[in-house]
Amino acid sequence: MSTAATVKSALEDLLKARRLSADAPPLRGEDRRGRPLPTGVATIDAMLFGGFPRGQLSEVHGPASSGRTGLVLALLARSTGGGALAAFVDPDDRLDPSSAAAAGVALARLLWLRGQKGLAEAVAAVGTLAGSGLFETVVLDLAGVPEAERRLPGATWIRLQRTVEDGPTALVLLADRHVACGPGGVSLALAPAGPRWSGASGPGRLLSGLRARATAGRHVLRRADLLLRTLA
Amino acid sequence: MYGGLHSPRSLPSPSALLDLAREFTPRVEARGPTPVLLDLFGLGRVWPTPQALGQAILVAAQGRQIEAQVALAWSRATALVLARGRPGLTIVSPGKEAEALAPLPLALLDLDLERSELFARWGLRTISDLARLPVAGLAERLGPDGPRLLGLARGEDDGLFVPTAAPVAFEMALELDWPVDGLEPLSFLLARVLEPLCAGLAARGRRAATLTVDLGLVDGSTHRRALRPAAPSGEPRTWRTLVLLDLEAHPPRDAVQAIAVRAEPTPARSVQFSLLDPAQPSPERLAETMARLHSWTAAGRGGAAALLDTHRPGAFAVGTFAPGPVTPRAPAPGSPRVALRAFRPPRPARVALRDGAPAFVAAAGVRGAVVDHAGPWRASGDWWDVAWSREEWDVALLGGGVYRIFRDRLREAWFVEGELD
Repeated sequence: MSTAATVKSALEDLLKARRLSADAPPLRGEDRRGRPLPTGVATIDAMLFGGFPRGQLSEVHGPASSGRTGLVLALLARSTGGGALAAFVDPDDRLDPSSAAAAGVALARLLWLRGQKGLAEAVAAVGTLAGSGLFETVVLDLAGVPEAERRLPGATWIRLQRTVEDGPTALVLLADRHVACGPGGVSLALAPAGPRWSGASGPGRLLSGLRARATAGRHVLRRADLLLRTLA
Repeated sequence: MYGGLHSPRSLPSPSALLDLAREFTPRVEARGPTPVLLDLFGLGRVWPTPQALGQAILVAAQGRQIEAQVALAWSRATALVLARGRPGLTIVSPGKEAEALAPLPLALLDLDLERSELFARWGLRTISDLARLPVAGLAERLGPDGPRLLGLARGEDDGLFVPTAAPVAFEMALELDWPVDGLEPLSFLLARVLEPLCAGLAARGRRAATLTVDLGLVDGSTHRRALRPAAPSGEPRTWRTLVLLDLEAHPPRDAVQAIAVRAEPTPARSVQFSLLDPAQPSPERLAETMARLHSWTAAGRGGAAALLDTHRPGAFAVGTFAPGPVTPRAPAPGSPRVALRAFRPPRPARVALRDGAPAFVAAAGVRGAVVDHAGPWRASGDWWDVAWSREEWDVALLGGGVYRIFRDRLREAWFVEGELD
């Protein structure tokens, strides 16, 4: 019997027995793990084995102009473009809605919590959003937050990881340097490889993009080159 | 027995006769503000004779300053026509309907203009003139309407009694023997008022769009809170959470002595979701989550951003986060885009120029020699309002980082708008 016929037969048996529910045992060959959330950037998705894992705390970190915000906006664009909800918690009020819209983010499906309430309140808001299970992607933007303000209790990230665990939400930290990563999450480090200009120096020249090198993994490092464009 | 209640004078309120009728029976049919038909079956135990019942209705009307005409009969049509045609109280015995209606003018049968003119041409003036006509002849000339009008003129009922539903107020109140202080005991008491309220809403296929909570306090004042979530809800648990979260943010100043809740009903939503799109979030859970983030959203610092229709750089508005149905979108670009990490407000900068181009930039958190640049790009607008005019540069600094800086041409000052990332 073919696999499809086997699955169909098993489903019909479960329906007859009225046992087709979420807590029913998995069917043969059924993978109940949530699919990772792709960024839509082929090289990055390949490197992350499909994208950012759900139910895990992941991070994207790198210095200024390394493309971390552009990459996170690409993830949010895929998420909101597919009809899901996403949230961007922005304690330093740095998100530019024009850039987000240009990246393809559906702004009406992106909840933006912005600024000047302190990092502790931002982390509490992330806990609320991640715990609700309504949002496919929740991003906490820590890039540019001064080191003195970034001091949080040591258990903060463990608590957030426990909040999202087994849920449909991918929690992503956006930071200048490594902050935290869940046991099944990904830590994606970006390093700037310089800007790309449209022509020779002088009037009429444009910034056409930013080049970056991405490194993922904690034990076996995987690398990919990345180009973020300014124009479509 | 049926009762007809009519007032030839203007009424204190459009529902005055209806309210008066409801004092005697819950089964009332309103034909506009007047007349009103009462179903009086079973009232013989309270008022032993029709005369006593009719007098009681007239006395109650006088008490409400209503000049009423009352007719009691065993057919609805007779009661209604007599109430409009005879002053005071009229009582008709069974079988005497046609006799009672006979002398009244034909206009009391509510004929349309065409029928009135036709009957006038036939020389019919009173109801008895119409009642004496042969049914077959009327049916030949007027069709099915002929026998119907004839039955009406003889006091025979046509159609069914259709009771007018009493307006339902979705309100619940609770008086406490002992005042309660704190939200935890209040949460149990809220459940006691919200559960029957939501059950009443559900029984009528309604949800609550807004909920007003009045807490009577020990000091005699009332602490009123009105909640209007993004989506109507009929779930008592959701409403209790929303009320408690709101009271956490706006606590009453004294112990609570009484609780009253009032819901504004709205029809229950019926939304057909697509099998192919992702499941949409439950509006109740979304409203609950947004209520938990009240401290962000109340200050206008949380919501959904929307771009404004202007060329002014960085113009946007933040509105309520209420995601609607999924709309098909073009796929996001395959290559990620450079994003601006904005400084709000733009950071004032000192910029050294060489050959008209930036050579060194110094601002809070941004400092370095310019190793490469693109620009200038000039833009201006809003000259009719608060004008702006600027000269933009994208600069790569020696220490790393690419920034967007601009010169405000009206103020002759440099600013760093943000980091390109």
